[in-house]
Amino acid sequence: MWSSVRNRALSATINQWKSCINRSFCSSLINSTNANGNQVVELLNLEEVEKILTDVRADDVRIIPVTKQSEFANFVVVATGRSQWHVRNIAQALIYKVKQKQTGAKRMLLPSVEGQEGGNWIVIDSGSLIVHALDEKARAYYNLEQLWTSKESTNDQSQSQDLGQAFVKKRRINNSKKPAK
Amino acid sequence: MIQPQTHLNVADNSGARELMCIRIIGASNRRYAHIGDVIVAVIKDAVPNMPLERSEVVRAVIVRTCKELKRDNGMIIRYDDNAAVVIDQEGNPKGTRVFGAIARELRQFNFTKIVSLAPEVL
Repeated sequence: MWSSVRNRALSATINQWKSCINRSFCSSLINSTNANGNQVVELLNLEEVEKILTDVRADDVRIIPVTKQSEFANFVVVATGRSQWHVRNIAQALIYKVKQKQTGAKRMLLPSVEGQEGGNWIVIDSGSLIVHALDEKARAYYNLEQLWTSKESTNDQSQSQDLGQAFVKKRRINNSKKPAK
Repeated sequence: MIQPQTHLNVADNSGARELMCIRIIGASNRRYAHIGDVIVAVIKDAVPNMPLERSEVVRAVIVRTCKELKRDNGMIIRYDDNAAVVIDQEGNPKGTRVFGAIARELRQFNFTKIVSLAPEVL
């Protein structure tokens, strides 16, 4: 009985940790439910991103759901631009959309954009949705789709289970008091 | 706690095997670099027949440190080795895959590219 109680307490603490992580490390993302449990506005959602990417004529758009593989994002969107200008324009269009959505707000929340000077690979990280805009060479070089689609075997659930099992104390079997045959 | 003369492992497939820190980028006279800091490093050991060679000067981001990393929620993370990922001037990683576990703080320091190449994020 004690072990089961301890087990439960442990799993509770692990869950607490997890929720703590999610809360403290995703301060940039506002789309998740906040402490009161009501839904807040998203920076970008999937349909909007899809629409923008078709509007700016990004090639070969792929949407990969990664909820299983990673805790930090739900979807990864990969898109190709024809030139460095095109890649930069894809990023600009997405940022423009975010700004347009929040017109009139006191404080604008912008996604973090990485690699805007270069134009080979721009990442727009809006919390649960990460958009990668790459040029053709970079896309072939980094091969992100293959990485994200083949990673399904190493999902986090098994890891947390392993962690839970590691903490459980196993009592050794007492062989000294075995009935004599 | 990475300072000039510290040797680091390389956590990607760029072709370098070992780096030595020669400068920390940021403020002048900065003593130590931690996870998420950019350093200038020399390649001390490299894999043969790869684009990167020995005694080349590169930039790298620190991804793992033996010195523990504290989080606001009380979690402490420390690794067994000091490791870095080789990047270019624009922040694109030279390699195409990152090995080993990586702290999610890197995402806050705007290294989402490295985080998205990593197999495991702590």
